[in-house]
Amino acid sequence: MSELARILLVEDDPRDVELTLTALGEYNLANEVVVTRDGEKALDYLYCRGEFSARSNDNPAVMLLDLKLPKVDGLQVLQQIKSDERLKLIPVVVLTSSREEKDMVRSYKLGVNAYVVKPVDFHEFVNAIKELGVFWAVINEPPPGSVKKAP
Amino acid sequence: MTIHLAERPTGAAAKRSLARWNLELRRGSPAIRYGLSVVCVAVALGGALVSQYYGALDVELPLFDMAVVVATWYAGVGPSVLAVVLSALCYNYFFTEPFYSFEVSNEDLPRFFLFIASAAIVAWFVAVRRRIESDLRHARDNLQVELEQRKRREDEIRQLNNELARRASELETSNKELESFAYSVSHDLRAPLRHVVGYSELLQRQASSLLDEKSRRFMQTILESAKRMGNLIDDLLEFSRIGRAETKNTLVSPDPLVKDVVAEIGQDTTGRDIVWKIHHLPVCYSDRSMLRLVIFNLLSNAVKFTRMRAQAEIEIGCVDGENEVEVFVRDNGAGFDMQYVDKLFGVFQRLHLPEEFEGTGIGLATVRRIIHRHGGEVRAEGIVDHGATFYFSLPKAQDAAERTANTL
Repeated sequence: MSELARILLVEDDPRDVELTLTALGEYNLANEVVVTRDGEKALDYLYCRGEFSARSNDNPAVMLLDLKLPKVDGLQVLQQIKSDERLKLIPVVVLTSSREEKDMVRSYKLGVNAYVVKPVDFHEFVNAIKELGVFWAVINEPPPGSVKKAP
Repeated sequence: MTIHLAERPTGAAAKRSLARWNLELRRGSPAIRYGLSVVCVAVALGGALVSQYYGALDVELPLFDMAVVVATWYAGVGPSVLAVVLSALCYNYFFTEPFYSFEVSNEDLPRFFLFIASAAIVAWFVAVRRRIESDLRHARDNLQVELEQRKRREDEIRQLNNELARRASELETSNKELESFAYSVSHDLRAPLRHVVGYSELLQRQASSLLDEKSRRFMQTILESAKRMGNLIDDLLEFSRIGRAETKNTLVSPDPLVKDVVAEIGQDTTGRDIVWKIHHLPVCYSDRSMLRLVIFNLLSNAVKFTRMRAQAEIEIGCVDGENEVEVFVRDNGAGFDMQYVDKLFGVFQRLHLPEEFEGTGIGLATVRRIIHRHGGEVRAEGIVDHGATFYFSLPKAQDAAERTANTL
């Protein structure tokens, strides 16, 4: 599964993970997702370090990034990615509870590709996730070096 | 005059204590002052007699003059006159011919008058000099007192300044705490709420067919309550954001804003008959987006509370005052009881049941907060079932800069 993962979801809350996966599952995208639970693991995944040292070196087609994460927080992960020649090609979507303007401004300054506030309403949440997943993993042509779509 | 002096150099202190003794003597009892005068003259007389005995002649004039000087300087005008008179008598008795009588021979008469004149002139000069001295001392003492008062005031000001600085830093800390509180509310409170909604939806989806009507209603209530809480949190965050956000005040013409807001509200009111009466509003000095929010909140309230009218009438206009512009929004809707007017602008305060009119009760609180930050005031008038009028004032463009500077 992780070999084919085109969506990297970085989210610490297991319930949010489940709800996101459920939403993506409605559009058959759940098996394209690899989940890391903190910023450090996310960077391990991207750099193929630690437990991910065996995976192929391709970038995910999109990264869904929460901002409030244990150890390395979302903005730090974003900064790290966008300052790395190879990783900065990855489209990053911040998916967060925070409607705070300063988070939004900092994310955009760091070069985020989209900023999505998780809606409280579940239908809206499902719709948002669906559209994100479909757009970035299906419609959008990912940059070179990304995991290819399963045939 | 009592002056408490702080530490001073000892030389100056000695000089000062002598001066004080001087002053005190001049104010002292007449007995002492006149006594001093008599003693001075007696000492001068003694000196003159002793000198005469040893053959030193004509020293009595300077000696008596000295006695007059001392008496005038230390004891004042009355003793001075006494000293002159006593000196004259002594001189007459002991030193003019015939000796030991108060008569004066013709050839000694000029000497005698010269003596009196010199004593009077010396007394006169010393008295004048003494007055100047005492005026100067008086002025200096006043200056000293003033200086000390100023120093005390400066100390007080410095103390108040320190206090102010401390308060300011406390305020800054508590503002920062508030900010981080709002931030974590925004992050952490919303997440579990989203889970409540999400999982309830999932449960509803999975188990809907198994549930009876009552259970489905329970489920629906859970969902609605959670969404309502979401709205409350969003509104509260928005409200706190307005308190923290920096205002960028510029000259704003409210007319396009009103037009814009009416157009936006118009999209949600299709099918309703609303008569808009929109008057021209003067340019004011304010933050454009905040002013827009004020207009939006008031107009959307007016639209909301006129829902039950076949024809709603909403009017926006202004009363042009001397220093400020008072804008009003009037409607013919549900109105309110003036008894509760104070509650109207409170956070989460509502005067209607949620079944009658939806809303969280933050709109007018936001209006008030924004207007206060602009240095203006809000008020409202209403009659139940006859409509309401909301007023807000904004400083006029010309004197707005200083007023907002004071209130921000």
